Amino acid sequence: MGCDWANEMIGMAPAAAQAASPKIAVQHLEFAYPGARGGTIMALAGLNLAVPDGQFCCIVGPSGCGKSTLLRLLAGLEQPTRGNIAVRHDNPALPVNSMVFQGDSTFPWLTVRENVAYGLAQRHVPAALRVARVATFLDMVGLRSFSDAYPGQLSGGMRQRVSLARALANDPEILLMDEPFASLDEQNRLLLQLELLRIWETERKTVVFVTHSIDEALLLGDRVLLMSARPGRLLLDELVAFPRPRDPYTLKREAAFGDMAYRIWELLRREVNRARDIEMQGVA
Amino acid sequence: MRNRLLSFLSPVALLVAWEALVRLKILDIRFFAAPSQVLGRLVAMAASGMLMDDVSISLQRIFLGFLLGALPAIALGMLMGLSSPVRALLAPIAAAIYPIPKIAILPMIIILFGLGETSKILTVALSVFFLVLLNTAAGVLAIDPKYFDIARNNGASRWQIYWTVAFPAALPSIMTGCQLGMGFALTVIVGTEFLGADRGIGYRIWTSYQVYDIETTYAGLVVTAVIGWLLTILLQEIEHWIIPWRAAGQVRTSSVHTSSQEQSSMKRYAGIWLKAVRPFSFTASVIPVVLGGAAAAYYGFFNPWLFLLTLVGSVAIHAGTNLANDYYDHMKGADGPDSLGPSKVIQQGELSPRAVLGGAILAFALGAAIGLYLVSVAGSFIFWLGVFSILAGFFYTASPAALAYIGLGEITVFIFMGPVIVLGTYYVQAQQVSWPVVLLSLPIGFLVAAILHANNLRDIEGDRAIGKRTLASILGRHSAVIEYAILLGGCYLFLALIIALGIAPLWTIIAFLTLPTAISLARRAASTVDTKILNGVLRRTAQLHTNFGLLMIAGFVIGLFVK
Repeated sequence: MGCDWANEMIGMAPAAAQAASPKIAVQHLEFAYPGARGGTIMALAGLNLAVPDGQFCCIVGPSGCGKSTLLRLLAGLEQPTRGNIAVRHDNPALPVNSMVFQGDSTFPWLTVRENVAYGLAQRHVPAALRVARVATFLDMVGLRSFSDAYPGQLSGGMRQRVSLARALANDPEILLMDEPFASLDEQNRLLLQLELLRIWETERKTVVFVTHSIDEALLLGDRVLLMSARPGRLLLDELVAFPRPRDPYTLKREAAFGDMAYRIWELLRREVNRARDIEMQGVA
Repeated sequence: MRNRLLSFLSPVALLVAWEALVRLKILDIRFFAAPSQVLGRLVAMAASGMLMDDVSISLQRIFLGFLLGALPAIALGMLMGLSSPVRALLAPIAAAIYPIPKIAILPMIIILFGLGETSKILTVALSVFFLVLLNTAAGVLAIDPKYFDIARNNGASRWQIYWTVAFPAALPSIMTGCQLGMGFALTVIVGTEFLGADRGIGYRIWTSYQVYDIETTYAGLVVTAVIGWLLTILLQEIEHWIIPWRAAGQVRTSSVHTSSQEQSSMKRYAGIWLKAVRPFSFTASVIPVVLGGAAAAYYGFFNPWLFLLTLVGSVAIHAGTNLANDYYDHMKGADGPDSLGPSKVIQQGELSPRAVLGGAILAFALGAAIGLYLVSVAGSFIFWLGVFSILAGFFYTASPAALAYIGLGEITVFIFMGPVIVLGTYYVQAQQVSWPVVLLSLPIGFLVAAILHANNLRDIEGDRAIGKRTLASILGRHSAVIEYAILLGGCYLFLALIIALGIAPLWTIIAFLTLPTAISLARRAASTVDTKILNGVLRRTAQLHTNFGLLMIAGFVIGLFVK
């Protein structure tokens, strides 16, 4: 990954570069993959994005618009077809990013404790530190008493909390979250959103958070991005200026919240319909 | 539940039918050894050390061959699953060799490695290798790619990904391959030992066949089946141990046991079972067995080993009957939580009905195995006695037209807990039928019938309410009380008769010491309708049976030494 891209900008002292350069810089990003009938499908076409250090950035868009692909590219799990991704890695002792994957992403063969400790173990973090961090984050997601259970013994919501704890325990510079709460019921989603807000407000990590829920994006984010139907481009890029700490129910009563959600929905609705048309063409 | 009983009964029925057909000479004994003969031969083979020797050498070949085949297969299978060039390279070769029956490769292996151990172990290894290889590769290929992504994102190196993702995720498939491979290993080793071996279970089968020692051939087959079964269980245990997340999949809450907790709960569990089998009722079967043994000794036949087996076998069957009774009474609704009779382990939730039925099956299986051995020693008579006893036991409560539910309980108990047991024990010792022995069994037969009758007298109202037709509930309380007195009286009448006829030594007269108890019991039963008091009558009738039986046995033993 081109981690040092930003630091090598002409003539800037490292400290100044750190202050000025974004944590994540994406330029002219294109991503294509082979289609079913021999052609290529463009998932992303000419995407530009800069995320400053410590920003909570939410991405909304219709299904299949390439949101997940963008996250996988940011995580380095895929390589861009064209264009550039630069992620600034400030502390080499910590991982640059950790991803909370969509859907169930616990290892069934590891206990809850071992799942949360997985990243730490791969990086050979000393055992004492590992134990302490795992305990901290298991407490945070309320699964301490299930430390020795296997994921197969847990509910879907509990498994999602294990994935979240694993990503947080890694203490990454950037958290990449791919619809982490989509499979949860309303109450558990709300509790975990609040928990995430609380953690983020103390640690102020850079977060890229993909969701299909506008409400969720406005509740959590400093900034909301709307992606178009395939091939994905940015249609809207706005700061979400509601004061923190935020409370979902007071926030939803404010007119500004409703206005913003409505405006984004109007745009999104068009894209959802377009995405459907594209899919229909694919079928036909 | 019903299916479980059926799956236990079907092999038993097959064995019984087989034994019966051989004993009736419908099946030719030259080609079909009777199960009891096979068991007798097995015991003889075990006693001579031959069985141990054959089994250990065969198992040694299986295990070495298995390890030699499975370990490289797992490593190579992992590579095949992870790397498509390796897959492209090896898959066609594996696909070509896999279908060849490995036993067909044996001649080639013998040419290369001679007739020794190496060629046998290699043949096993080869047959295990391909099964494990293909299953391992398939298991790795089936892994959801997201797990590799997660591992990479968490900073796992290539090697770490193999160890922490590919291997554990493929383990269930690897285990399946190992289980299939183990089955093949057994098949192949027996076949291999047919040729050019001088020990081993296959060798034993083949050589005994060549000299028409058909019993040994069958014994070899039985041993092979048992080994196969044990290996399957072994691998299942290993699977539980190395794939714990699979076994844990069903349970929602995790509970942590300390070893001391487990120990005390084990103790408690043993205590519950001890209660469930109702050991105090065992006197009903122990007394007639000991009486039969004492009578045989008195007449000059006694083999302590066979006697001990008879005793253990009959206690096992009695325990099984008690458990089965609890189970079926529970299913039929005869024993409510406030019922005074049975052990109440089901009603009080200490054991599940399923566990009780399982215990019954286990006890019956032990009894059946001992019975089969006794048949091999004592012959057809014991077999037929056993068959009728099993049928009686089954029809006593289990069948739809249960004997105990149509007023035939007392007569059944009288016959089977009296003459049948005493004569059976005697026959095992003496290998001859003796009518005097039948006569001397009648007094305790009357008493055991009296125990059941006292039970039914106590439960007369309850049984009527649920439509359980016992002799007592059919006769009515008045006649039932008279019948109870007749049963007690019959006991002493026949004791006097056998002493007078000189069948039993004069010393057995000491059993008359219990007569006052019997008289007071008959009076007491006639004078009350209180179930509490009748429960006392029941308890004391059982005590009477024990005391009377012990005194009669003592009489025989004294008679044995003081002639």
